Amino acid sequence: MKRLLKNKKLTKTVSVMLAVVMAVGLFAGCGKKSGGSSSETLNIFVWTEYVPDSAFEKFEEETGIHCNVSTYSSNEDMLAKVKSESEGTYDIVLPSDYMVEQLIAQDMLMELDSSKLTNLGNINEAYLNPSYDPGNKYSVPYQGGVAAIAVNTAKVDKEITSYDDLFDPALKNSIVALDDYRAVIGMTARSMGYSMNETDSAKLKEIEEKLLTLKDNIKLYDSDSPKSALISGDCTVGFVWSAEIAMSMAENKDIEVVYPKEGPYVFMDNWNILKGCKNYDAAMKFINFMLDSETAQMVSEEFPYLCPNEAAVKAMGEEYSGNPAKNPPEDVIAAGEYVSNLDTDTLAVYDEMWTKLKK
Amino acid sequence: MDKKISRHEWKSNLLPALVMAGPVTLVLVFLVAVPLVYVGVMSFCSIDEYYNVVFKFSTENYVRLLNADYLKIYGQSLAMAFITTVLCILVGYPFSYLIARTKSKRKTLLYMLVIIPFWTNSLIRIYGWRTFLGTNGWLNGLLQFLHLTGEPVDFLFRQGTTVLGMVYCLIPFMILPLYTAIEKLDGSLLEASADLGARPFATFFQVILPLTSSGIFSGSIMVFIPCLGYFFVADILGGGNSDVIGNLIERQFQSGNNWPLGAALSIILIVMTLVLVKLYQKVGGDMDNLGV
Repeated sequence: MKRLLKNKKLTKTVSVMLAVVMAVGLFAGCGKKSGGSSSETLNIFVWTEYVPDSAFEKFEEETGIHCNVSTYSSNEDMLAKVKSESEGTYDIVLPSDYMVEQLIAQDMLMELDSSKLTNLGNINEAYLNPSYDPGNKYSVPYQGGVAAIAVNTAKVDKEITSYDDLFDPALKNSIVALDDYRAVIGMTARSMGYSMNETDSAKLKEIEEKLLTLKDNIKLYDSDSPKSALISGDCTVGFVWSAEIAMSMAENKDIEVVYPKEGPYVFMDNWNILKGCKNYDAAMKFINFMLDSETAQMVSEEFPYLCPNEAAVKAMGEEYSGNPAKNPPEDVIAAGEYVSNLDTDTLAVYDEMWTKLKK
Repeated sequence: MDKKISRHEWKSNLLPALVMAGPVTLVLVFLVAVPLVYVGVMSFCSIDEYYNVVFKFSTENYVRLLNADYLKIYGQSLAMAFITTVLCILVGYPFSYLIARTKSKRKTLLYMLVIIPFWTNSLIRIYGWRTFLGTNGWLNGLLQFLHLTGEPVDFLFRQGTTVLGMVYCLIPFMILPLYTAIEKLDGSLLEASADLGARPFATFFQVILPLTSSGIFSGSIMVFIPCLGYFFVADILGGGNSDVIGNLIERQFQSGNNWPLGAALSIILIVMTLVLVKLYQKVGGDMDNLGV
């Protein structure tokens, strides 16, 4: 090695070559970006691991509109970033139900022109006209799901049918739970027959007591990819998103999905256009494209969450409908509850509970 | 001639000073002082119902952070940092001694063994540990193959595993200052010690250790302080069951979305760091050895 390096000519050649490679890389990077700015561009801000690249590529091919995609991993994270940037930095966002309500309340959204949403008819009526956005003035549903229970039947003898069963001491050190305080505290509340959005301080005290008994059972908190711990067998029970269970079932045949009899935590994510959007027509085109049944199928293949697109569900047939983890039964959804916005004082109580659980 | 010199003097006072110290000052003011003041001011603010930061003076954040639950996490974090530091000394000292005292070509090799993993992103290396230690990981596979255990052992998601990850990530910060200190050690002092009748044991504790204590001190401070903030190690290997102060801060800036509370936590961490550095100076540590 030393002798090689002593050869100055060689060193020089190698460094020149490296410099050329780097420079080419640099310009290649520029080319991509400048290519987009010459035509129309949309700035889209979505959840990580939720919208497949293939969907954006197909949209670009069909319309010539370039998609500039950035991602976030929590609704709050999205809100903070949108607020800290100047208007027009992001055109389209994909928040969950309660966050749509917040964005509407803060006058951050543009109304959707329903005459341009020709594909809205594909959406199952059960998912239209939601309480957080009556009449779908500002939002249309993309995908949703529930926080369900995953059980590795080869390693767990106990029969699990409810959220309440997760508190059984027999499940000591075996659960992977979402690293999400509203989800875990909400699950505890539902296991006691209370609401996920409880504000009564006496009830919150009871919820806290029960929540702390869960501590010994939880082995891992993971929201990003809880399926890995389920597939590897590191955790034998999961309180995770239904789609994560669907993906882990595909890899590990012993895993089954259980919908809690108390009715689960339900969520729905929605397409919105932010105020200050520079290209409203292109944004409407994109949203309408996402409502298309073929696009919805593409999405569902990669990220099998609850699909509100009836036309796509019909086209996918048994592959989707026959899979209990991909397609939560309608009565489960009906029995479930959405997270809603709480006042800061109550949220502070929730946050303290969470700190106690994790200390 | 006189004129020339006086003009030269006039120039040399201002312009060169501005050119030389100006950029550094700007960088320090805008990248260190301003953000610090910003964090300090924010820690006294609060949030409204939409998580907006409201600039109204209150000490509520600090009051919240002094309750028993938070204190327990600070304690747990300090304890884990302490154990990590001790383990780093115990493992790092003999190794540094070995590198410093090796005369042959192997010295570079040993040195590289420390440096090369350091070039890989620590997040990736920590995920590597997770795969290695998992229920179906290599270690469990080996243990079962050798019939040392029947059932797979639960290595992951414990405080001990978090400490292991921290030791693994931070040991170069211990080895490098120790190596520098041991390298400087004058061999003739050891000979003198032996000539005067000291056994190896006594030589180590009465000559070598005091002379290399500066390395131990600066290594300790460079291991201890990051330990308080390495939230990703606690997340990935501890599974959220062994949070450090860094996890608390991360949570308030992300899912909790209470930036003022997160800012107050950061200030607490900064104060802890300052106290530790002061302590380090008190015991005779040299600031130059910290590379600051």
